[in-house]
Amino acid sequence: MRKRFHGLKRVKIRQSWNKYNLYNLARAEPPRIDNRTFFQQKWTAKSLTRAYHGETVREKKWHKLFRRTIKAVINMDPKALAENDGSEHAEGRGSGLDVPANQKPKSLPKIPYLNMIYAPTERRLDTAVFRALFASSTRQARQFVIHGYVKVNGEKMIYPGYQLNPGDMFQVEPDRVLFATGARKDRAERAAGRKLRAAKASQNAAAEQSESESEPTEPSSPKSDPPPEVAVPEKDAKKALQSLISQAKAILSSPSSALTAQRKQDLRAFQRTVKRNLSRPDALTTTSLDSQLAEITAKMAPKPTAPIPSNPLDLPTLSSPELQAEAATLSPNQLKTLRAALAEARENPIDASKPYATPWRPRDWMSAFAFIPRYLEVHHKICSAVYIRHPVARPGLAEVPTPYNFDLNSLAHNWYLRRR
Amino acid sequence: MPPRVRQPRLQSTLPRPSIPPHQCQCVCQTRSRQFSSTSQHATRQRDDMFRWLNGPGSVFRQPLPGSTNYINAYDKGGNLIRARDMRAGENNGGGAEEKAESKEKDVDEGEVRDLEVDVETATIKHKKAQRPSRGATTNAVPLPKETAEDLMPFPMNRQFRSQSVLSEELKDAIYERVMVQGKSVRDVSAALGVEMRRVGAVVRLKAVEKEWESKGKPLATPYSKAVLSMLPQTPYIPNDPRVHESINDLPVHRATTLQLFQPVSETRHFDRRDAAQAFQRNLLPAEDRIPHRELYLMEKWRYEGVQRDERIQRMRERNEEDFWAKKEREDRRRERERTEVTKVDHGRSVFKFQDVKVDVRAGKDGRGPAGVGARYGVPHQDRKRGMIKIPTRVG
Repeated sequence: MRKRFHGLKRVKIRQSWNKYNLYNLARAEPPRIDNRTFFQQKWTAKSLTRAYHGETVREKKWHKLFRRTIKAVINMDPKALAENDGSEHAEGRGSGLDVPANQKPKSLPKIPYLNMIYAPTERRLDTAVFRALFASSTRQARQFVIHGYVKVNGEKMIYPGYQLNPGDMFQVEPDRVLFATGARKDRAERAAGRKLRAAKASQNAAAEQSESESEPTEPSSPKSDPPPEVAVPEKDAKKALQSLISQAKAILSSPSSALTAQRKQDLRAFQRTVKRNLSRPDALTTTSLDSQLAEITAKMAPKPTAPIPSNPLDLPTLSSPELQAEAATLSPNQLKTLRAALAEARENPIDASKPYATPWRPRDWMSAFAFIPRYLEVHHKICSAVYIRHPVARPGLAEVPTPYNFDLNSLAHNWYLRRR
Repeated sequence: MPPRVRQPRLQSTLPRPSIPPHQCQCVCQTRSRQFSSTSQHATRQRDDMFRWLNGPGSVFRQPLPGSTNYINAYDKGGNLIRARDMRAGENNGGGAEEKAESKEKDVDEGEVRDLEVDVETATIKHKKAQRPSRGATTNAVPLPKETAEDLMPFPMNRQFRSQSVLSEELKDAIYERVMVQGKSVRDVSAALGVEMRRVGAVVRLKAVEKEWESKGKPLATPYSKAVLSMLPQTPYIPNDPRVHESINDLPVHRATTLQLFQPVSETRHFDRRDAAQAFQRNLLPAEDRIPHRELYLMEKWRYEGVQRDERIQRMRERNEEDFWAKKEREDRRRERERTEVTKVDHGRSVFKFQDVKVDVRAGKDGRGPAGVGARYGVPHQDRKRGMIKIPTRVG
């Protein structure tokens, strides 16, 4: 049984962005194995490398995944291929003409084949999610997969050991990615989040109560409604209105002649929603559907959010006339700045309901671990990536990200050969 | 032998308390906890770690603006090696005049910067308010580009490098060329130096992004910006596209990995095609196995002295032939499927029925290697009299 995941005493490097891991990585040196038996050397190498590569995969499973054959490619120059047909390599005594040492073409660096032994684990979905920088560790990626936040080719995939095939696209829920890669909330932000949740819960309770009261005698009982709330959370209202619109659209688009049972149900549901909305104290009194929809669309239009209040520049919100007047006095360059700041604030708003610090910023220590191997094509804006091909080795370069050197990897490879 | 009484590691100078140990508060607050099983060593290591994280390691807490920030780019003391080298180079080589010039430049840049500071302070202020910025990063002189050494995230593994990713502009250019201008994936790949499979993936991902945009689904733009700023990127320069990666990768065939001695007469012209056949009978030479064979053909015609217009004409004809051959193959396949396969759709799954001639696959005696019975069900005959057990052919 493992005692610590990130140990300082018994150092194991892990697939994670943890600061303990960073410290271990920064001070790591190849283990001293000169004075040990060959078996012990292999054992150490295996144990160290397996702690990094697929540590959630059991040894027996990994044994089945392991392949002796390793994929490699060599870049070919079409010009060189066109100008020589290869016979120059067979000239002289059968191994090319003798040329002076200083005229010999530079030979390619060796292909580090044995750095690729753990290529099969890179096919796993959880590892790929981590490699695409969508999670801060493979374990977190695994959790995302199991909890159903990851889709492969548009279908939910809940198995972290799913072997991706070339061309598979995987997507992670953006909110989860922002949580995994974003900075953590500080104390004040957590408190603000709690407050917001409490307010929302009380509101929901109040709304339910009012609903249950108002349902038997519908719009004719405005007095029984609770006192008007201070501010309906924009998100909730937005959601409800969105659903309303989509329902309305669905009903309007279907042919009116086909009045099936489903359609009747839909209509009834729609009516109920409209009534509920109208029974709210802040809603309109008109009952026509058109005006209601127009009202909804007006509400749906994105409101310019206020810029970050802690700004020292005191960016004008353009809501009060004084600030607007001030904005009018700005130079074009400053106005441009202002616009950029506003755009950024809109793109990356403060939202206490999120589980990460807002406005979003990358979590600490992330940059030391941020790299994307070439066998993935990642599009961060939509938190999606395509596994384009299996990892390959090429002269002087192995695509499997492994923290250990060639010697240790070759010892580990030796361990997994059938006859060790 | 009576059990040994363990001595506490550190002798406390305090008088022994008369109260029982579970009530003792004062002793437990001292640095050496007598009743704790935590080893002192681990605590010291943790102290060391935090000392490193707050000292030399603190450079990794925040990303380095406009650059990657990997462990190998720093020395033990947490100094950026390339910045240090640059400073050393300036001190050694720079004459008085050069220094004066650079100072002037600095002043100019400072003035230009004044306007931009507003943007930065406006947008990045919330970060700065919480964490003091790094002193080294506020250098006026831009950092030199990363070397290959600086791009190694794992200090022990020199065979792994953080390779550049496509910049947003390059992705846009790929999408534009394929979807708007209607160019083929092959042409775009050759023109921009991006692998064909990557071109396909970019187009697919971009299409999803457009779909999200049209639906109004929020994009993770701040995350994307932050991550891309931490990675090396291939920029897009419209008139002079940079090669992103090698596009003519030849997979190393398994048959070619073993050394082979082939006796050949001296007069024979032994080329790549012959070598491939020596390794394996059906193995094609490298020029026929690379992804962009058309680039090889163009070079070959040029080498043979064919004029440019003629080359382009030939390539056009070849492309057209390829297109029609592919279309014909596809049509034939579809036609065959239509006539031979009966489909039964059950909503959840589609059953396909196809007539199979057993004789052809399994042979007259039903023992053919392609038949089902070869592996399951048909008893072996190798114990019969006169049957040869040793395989006569290695396949």
